[in-house]
Amino acid sequence: MFELLVRSPKFMIGAAVVLAIILFGAIGSMLTRDPLQYSSHYVEPPSSSFLLGTGNFGEDVLAQLCTGSRNSLMIGAVAGGFATLIAVLVGGIGPYKGGLVDETSNALTNVVMVFPMLPLLILLAAILESRSMFLVAGLIGATSWPWAARSIRSQVLTLKERGYIDIARMSGMKDRKIVVTEIMPNMLAYIIVVFVVSLSIAVLTEAGLSMIGLGPDPSTNVTLGSMLYWVLNGTHVALPWTLWWCFIPPGLILTVFLVAVFVMHSGMDEVFNPRLRRV
Amino acid sequence: MQKHVRRERKIKESRIPNIYVMKNLFAHPFVKFVLRKVVFYLIVASIALTFIFIIPRLMPGSPIDRMIPPGTTDLGRLRLKAELERYFGLDKPLLQQYIDFWANLLRGNLGYAVMHDYNFRPVATVVMQKLPFTLALVIPVLFIGFFVGNWIGAKAAHVKGKLGEAVYFTSVFASQMPFYWFAMILLFFLAVNVKVFPTHGTFSPRFIPGANLESLVDALKHYALPFLTLTIITIGGWATGMRSMTLYELDSGYILYARQLGFRNKKLVSYARRNAILPQFTGLNINLNNLIGMTMIIEVVFAWDGLGFLAYNAVLARDYFMMLGTFLVTMVIVIFGNFLVDIAYAFLDPRIRTSREG
Repeated sequence: MFELLVRSPKFMIGAAVVLAIILFGAIGSMLTRDPLQYSSHYVEPPSSSFLLGTGNFGEDVLAQLCTGSRNSLMIGAVAGGFATLIAVLVGGIGPYKGGLVDETSNALTNVVMVFPMLPLLILLAAILESRSMFLVAGLIGATSWPWAARSIRSQVLTLKERGYIDIARMSGMKDRKIVVTEIMPNMLAYIIVVFVVSLSIAVLTEAGLSMIGLGPDPSTNVTLGSMLYWVLNGTHVALPWTLWWCFIPPGLILTVFLVAVFVMHSGMDEVFNPRLRRV
Repeated sequence: MQKHVRRERKIKESRIPNIYVMKNLFAHPFVKFVLRKVVFYLIVASIALTFIFIIPRLMPGSPIDRMIPPGTTDLGRLRLKAELERYFGLDKPLLQQYIDFWANLLRGNLGYAVMHDYNFRPVATVVMQKLPFTLALVIPVLFIGFFVGNWIGAKAAHVKGKLGEAVYFTSVFASQMPFYWFAMILLFFLAVNVKVFPTHGTFSPRFIPGANLESLVDALKHYALPFLTLTIITIGGWATGMRSMTLYELDSGYILYARQLGFRNKKLVSYARRNAILPQFTGLNINLNNLIGMTMIIEVVFAWDGLGFLAYNAVLARDYFMMLGTFLVTMVIVIFGNFLVDIAYAFLDPRIRTSREG
């Protein structure tokens, strides 16, 4: 199945762009100057000494962009992983065990599905006053799992009916062993897809949350969202929208990343979903 | 004698259908479905409201501490704290507080605003004043986005060549773009470089709105950019989804069979479209939930005078009652909206009356 992935152009293009952004964040943040180093060059447009100009405190926008992408992706990865973990636990164990466990987990998913999660997230973030990157990632993960739980649940329900699971159960295999050796390998591709989508949702949510000042503390943590926050809350210009060099780059990185993940995801879908397979 | 019996039977017969109709009403699958949904959403709403009760009580640092002005002496702090706790009923047992919470809620009492702008006005009044502005964004965007987006998506599925691809890429781009960033881009181009639209607010500053053409134009000018942002993003999402759903249906057995039978292409597309739109309706719930969150953030960018901007200001001012009140109303609106979407779905798809559980 993974050989098919390599042959899918959509997946490869998407993955290449995602990798490029990861490298940009990881390597770029080591090469550029300190993103929180302030200077007296307030809000200057791009020049040869500051390739992308400077922000409200005279900080280098390029340096902020590198560190910001790195931090945003890290928050996204932690939050996406956390959401996937909850989704697998809630959506996977329920239908496998059946009975009351299934009823409870399904009811929980149904209730949470209609919950307005972004307002809840904003409320939680607003009440917790000092927020670290980890905390924000945890909050995002804890509020973004329902759709994933539901799709994993439907996948497990179809897997459970397969003959080889019955045979494994009849031959006296322990539940845990069935899950590890029979179900997990078949679910792996699906879980990866869920993780990738969760990650992109988390990156988008983090930047939105940070933009209204409810992400990790914007004066000490640089994320793509905190860059937008300082554009909105800057004091050096009357109209923040004139600072195009401050807000276009972070949004552009976000857009390219999200579109790349989307392309990668649809490539994966074509490979993993036999009805769509054209590779 | 016989006449009497016949009359009695007649009376009985005339009564039977009446009782039968009543029984039938509750046995009717659609009514059953609606009742089940009512119970389900009442449970969801009570859980959501209980969350609103629990969250501030679980979090570290009580809101009371933040109401005490800095610079108060330790003794004064203790006495003020005790006084405030007694005033807000926080010294009572938790169960009593919970009962009071519900009693106040049912009376429409959400507490009083501490925020500077709304000094001690009831939170419920302020929230109800802002609600129409948020709904004015959410409701048109929800419907226009759904219809236009699905129409474009269905078209894009069978339009071949450059045009189809261009539409597809535009809609992918629109659906994946961060909405708040798109708002900034629109502001940069349409409000700063070309001064067509105002940059922020619901009305021009120092403008007294009235029932005349001038205020309508002013309001529409302010409305255009937030509306455009949300609509374009929503249309992009629906169009990408609808395109792949239609393609999926066009690939399925009944279409291939009909094609072999020699059906016209137009007919095939209309069949596929009709089957593709149903699953899209189930997405309307999720779209509504997303849209509320998006609107809250977009309102902050445009300083649009709705619930989201109010919540944002309440967070900045650390006004607890206002914060909880706004979120409470938002949650109730979203849950009620979800209920309406579910009922509408039941109208459209007769299958779910029997097969789908709440």
